[in-house]
Amino acid sequence: MKVLAAGVVPLLLVLHWKHGAGSPLPITPDNATCATRHPCHSNLMDQIRNQLVQLNSSANALFILYYTAQGEPFPSNLDKLCRPDVTDFPPFHANGKEKARLVELYRIIAYLGASLGNITRDQKVLNPNALSLHSKLNATSDTMRGLLSNVLCHLCSKYHVANVDVAYGPDTSNKDVFQKKKLGCQLLGKYKQVIAVVAQAFQTGDLEAYSDPRS
Amino acid sequence: MGARSSGAESMEPRALLLTQKPEPMALFAFFQTILLLVSLSLRTCQSEVLSEPLPLTPESLDVSINSAQRCLHLQWRVHSLAYHQELKMVFQIEISRINTSNVIWVDYYSTTVKWNQVLHWSWESELPLECATHFVRIRSRVDDARVPEPRFWSNWSSWKEVNEQNSLGHKASSVFPVDKLVEEGSNVTICYISRSHQNNVSCYLDGVRMHVEQLDPNVSAFHVNNVAFVRETGTNIFCEMDPKDDAGTVLFVSKVLEEPKDFSCETQDFKTLHCTWDPGSDTSLVRKQPYQSYTLFESFSGEKRLCEHKNWCDWQIAQDSQEMYNFTLVAENYLRKRSVNILFNLTHRVRPMTPKVFFKNISATNATMTWRVHSTGNHRTLLCQIELHGEGKVIQQHNASIKVNGEYLLSELEPDTQYMARVHCGDANHFWKWSEWSGENFTTLEAAPSEAPDVWRDVKSELGNRTVTLFWKPLSKSHANGKIRFYNVIVENLDKPSELEPVPIPAPANHTKLALDQCSYRIHVTANNSVGTSPASVIVISGDPGNQVEEERVNVTADGFSLSWKPQSGDVTGYVVEWCDRPQDGSCDLQWENLGPNTTSTVISSDAFRPGVRYNFRIYGISTKRIAYLLEQKTGYSQELAPLVNPQVVMSNLTSHSFTLSWKDYPTETQRSFIRGYHVYLKPKEGQCHPGFEKAALSDNSVCCKYKIDKPEQKTFVVENLQPESIYEFFVTPFTSVGEGPLDAFTKVTTPDEHSHLLIRIILPTVFCVVLIMIVCYLNSQWMKEKCYPDIPDPYKSSVLSLIKSKENPHLTIMSVKDCIPDAIEVINKPEGSKIQFSGTRNSLTETEITKPAYLYLLPAEKNYSGPGPCICFENFTYNQAASNSGSCGHVPVPPTAPSQRGLLTSLENLLKALEKNYMNSQGEIPAGETTLNYVSQLASPMSGDKDSLPTDPPVPALCSEYKMQMAIPLGLASPPLSENSSVSSVTLLDQGDHHH
Repeated sequence: MKVLAAGVVPLLLVLHWKHGAGSPLPITPDNATCATRHPCHSNLMDQIRNQLVQLNSSANALFILYYTAQGEPFPSNLDKLCRPDVTDFPPFHANGKEKARLVELYRIIAYLGASLGNITRDQKVLNPNALSLHSKLNATSDTMRGLLSNVLCHLCSKYHVANVDVAYGPDTSNKDVFQKKKLGCQLLGKYKQVIAVVAQAFQTGDLEAYSDPRS
Repeated sequence: MGARSSGAESMEPRALLLTQKPEPMALFAFFQTILLLVSLSLRTCQSEVLSEPLPLTPESLDVSINSAQRCLHLQWRVHSLAYHQELKMVFQIEISRINTSNVIWVDYYSTTVKWNQVLHWSWESELPLECATHFVRIRSRVDDARVPEPRFWSNWSSWKEVNEQNSLGHKASSVFPVDKLVEEGSNVTICYISRSHQNNVSCYLDGVRMHVEQLDPNVSAFHVNNVAFVRETGTNIFCEMDPKDDAGTVLFVSKVLEEPKDFSCETQDFKTLHCTWDPGSDTSLVRKQPYQSYTLFESFSGEKRLCEHKNWCDWQIAQDSQEMYNFTLVAENYLRKRSVNILFNLTHRVRPMTPKVFFKNISATNATMTWRVHSTGNHRTLLCQIELHGEGKVIQQHNASIKVNGEYLLSELEPDTQYMARVHCGDANHFWKWSEWSGENFTTLEAAPSEAPDVWRDVKSELGNRTVTLFWKPLSKSHANGKIRFYNVIVENLDKPSELEPVPIPAPANHTKLALDQCSYRIHVTANNSVGTSPASVIVISGDPGNQVEEERVNVTADGFSLSWKPQSGDVTGYVVEWCDRPQDGSCDLQWENLGPNTTSTVISSDAFRPGVRYNFRIYGISTKRIAYLLEQKTGYSQELAPLVNPQVVMSNLTSHSFTLSWKDYPTETQRSFIRGYHVYLKPKEGQCHPGFEKAALSDNSVCCKYKIDKPEQKTFVVENLQPESIYEFFVTPFTSVGEGPLDAFTKVTTPDEHSHLLIRIILPTVFCVVLIMIVCYLNSQWMKEKCYPDIPDPYKSSVLSLIKSKENPHLTIMSVKDCIPDAIEVINKPEGSKIQFSGTRNSLTETEITKPAYLYLLPAEKNYSGPGPCICFENFTYNQAASNSGSCGHVPVPPTAPSQRGLLTSLENLLKALEKNYMNSQGEIPAGETTLNYVSQLASPMSGDKDSLPTDPPVPALCSEYKMQMAIPLGLASPPLSENSSVSSVTLLDQGDHHH
């Protein structure tokens, strides 16, 4: 439960403070009212796209930094120890409609944000001297929080979606040290893989959206 | 496999924990023993009873697991013992792994068993207990001396299965132990278990593959002996197998906790004991083990204190004046404890506090240092050590014994010098440690300079005056005794005593110039600082210009220039050797060295000396009157170098058999070594060397002839015995002890023809003479012209005349003009008042009025003359030189209507047109119709000098039969203008291209 208190719960409290915390968030019916704390920016999609590009551009460096900090055998056994086998990772359909993609993006970022919180917490204990890794993890978490907020804002303002069911990764607090390292590596490997697809999808999707009215 | 962990191969029991329950009723036990012995002795007597074993079988065996410690804990009872019965027994324990037949451990545990006692025994497995199922069984045997032999083992208890429940959990595979903390150097067994049967298992320790042993189809294990510390975040262990499955763990290897070193305690104030130690290695591991803790325990007081710092701890001294202390310092981490102990008397562990230092009464050579040591209790006697530092070195060391305050006089100090004095103290009775050093800097005061400056001079005489440059060396710090502010120079005329005026020269100047006459002067130089004046340095500049000495060469050694000179008898108070450190760049940088009167040699060395530079050394003797006189002069090189330049050779006196080479401008003094001579290289045409030359190979491997000139002062050389009209190449280079000059290009010279000099001797004067004559002739050309080839020859001077006279007609004479009568002259028109104005660059006629008939017809006297045609040419022997010289000639306009001259007139018109066209602008006005040719006749005017009229009496035509045309020019262009007084002898018209006479 410590991890819930330290990582996930504050995140949820920040993002969904009006609705309480902890419980999965169902998609709000279209006709439901949706209110945001602050008015959304007019260029939210641009911001979302830029944030995705930013995350995508730093994901590989974060991955390398992570497995290097764990020591052998991680760097030399990436295919075994860091393969992106995250079974409960939220799906993403790049060819879906924007609303569906945004909902899926929300779930992914929520999942990744919680997992990054766990990884950051674990690494501060397991590798207290890996300061660059900590810094990179924190920066990525910050960007994810902003992205999550933007996606929610956009969903709410454009599609009147206030709540989205989200799922989180496994709690690693009671795992042994090796498992923590391995799960973190797998998650970051998965993150690197997924964020590339998502960022590409939103870049392409936007272009399609721009071209749609003409067609 | 497990023998190492317990070390119990022996028959000795390997019990980790044994609990006995003593019976309080000893008396009752005694009777029980007696009863037992009686019973046993009775049984001994009965043979049928002796053969039966005692039924003392272990019962109620219970096995528990401590996975973290990898321990199995066994407990059991022996129920068959009688009440309060005690019996010495031996228990045999067997441990099997995976299955009961795989016995991995057999141990014996011997103890005295009491009635109803629970017996305990533990076993530590080297294999993590999660890795495999273990089985345990036990049996016993009486091992009591009271029981006679033979003694038999009881039956085995049933196998007790020990299994770490659900060690895999939900995982498919795992590696054990999990996150285990071990000490560096220990042995560890790691196992890999999986739900599926294992195949081709690979395990890695920090990336290094380990040798894996398969224990059963689902379990593999490997051993790590003497495990090493890798990093404080743990060592990763990773196992994988086919089909794809993997697991890992982290082994936390801690460094071995070391015993604290250099543990000691001391006090400065008898209130606190300050204990310090060296903790050794840091055994902390991230997340697994904190830094080792240190605890201080004092046995006399029984007090304990957990230290907050790694390497020191303060202990409050009790008020009850405890003198003896027995400290134990315990270092502890999760794996082990280490401790050290010290016992001491408090008064023997006193380290005084750091003194506070002050200085007073600082003078030029002394200073008093005072210090105070704060109370160490009971006014203990302290031993203090004082150090005086100067220029970073300890120059004085003193000891002092004090109570609280100390004072020490530091003497023999240098004036104006910065020192640092420091002090530290220790307990004099029971010395333990010195206190911290405490020191301060101080500077002594200045004193008057203690020595006269070292003065030397350079005298240059010029036009009866002398310029004396005084040089002095700055005083050393030990002699200056402060900052030198100025130098006083006093010049005393020895010939004309006068008042002495000191001239102050501000420091740091090291020289001054004085302009002196030819008198003798005594010069006093003193150095002055803020306190006083140094002794004077005296030098006398004599009016005597001094003597000249021969220059000698100086020997050079590895240490420098080795100079020696002849000892001077008499009143020599010392010698001075002077030289220039930088003679090569003209700045000289005069240096000198003072030497004692008994010294006759020295070695001069300087960092400024450079190879290839000639240094001159002058050795002076100093008389008792302080007059310096030159003794010897030496020159040399610190290192000779080969010359860099060759002489510029001038070739002269070239003949067909010799030429002269000279290089008189080549300076030998400024070369990089002593010139020993010159080599003259000659490349003869024939390849044969001339007498005196020898064959030599040059540095470019070419061969030529070489002539060696041994005298460096010889700077000319005559190359003789040459062949005329031959090409020779020569090259001159100096040679020294270290080699020749550079190999330069040869200069070619071609010897002339053998007779060419004769030709030159003849032709040149001849040409000179001709040129001279030509110049003279040119300068006197007019004279010559007149004399040799006048424009109008004087018939009287004509050679023809003589020829004619001599050969043909000896009676022939020159015709007189007066005697010449023209055939006929008809005046057909006489224009009145006609004017012709001429102007030109050469000749000008301002105005000419022709008052006489202007048109004349010259009619030939001969009968066969028929109009225009070739003229009859004849020589005019009647030419009047006077008329010619007058530069005038008459001209008569010829009327264009002359009937007999039609053709001539036509041509004349054309000519006039051309003249008009060409000269109209420049010739001034010429009246129309009056333009005509001017014919200058050779006929001398019989009326020469007549200004008014044409000859009234023309010459007889019969006599005037032969004429020669002299010139035909346009009117007014080249001919002299016709003036009124000009006389016209004859006038005619010229046809174009024809001559009429």
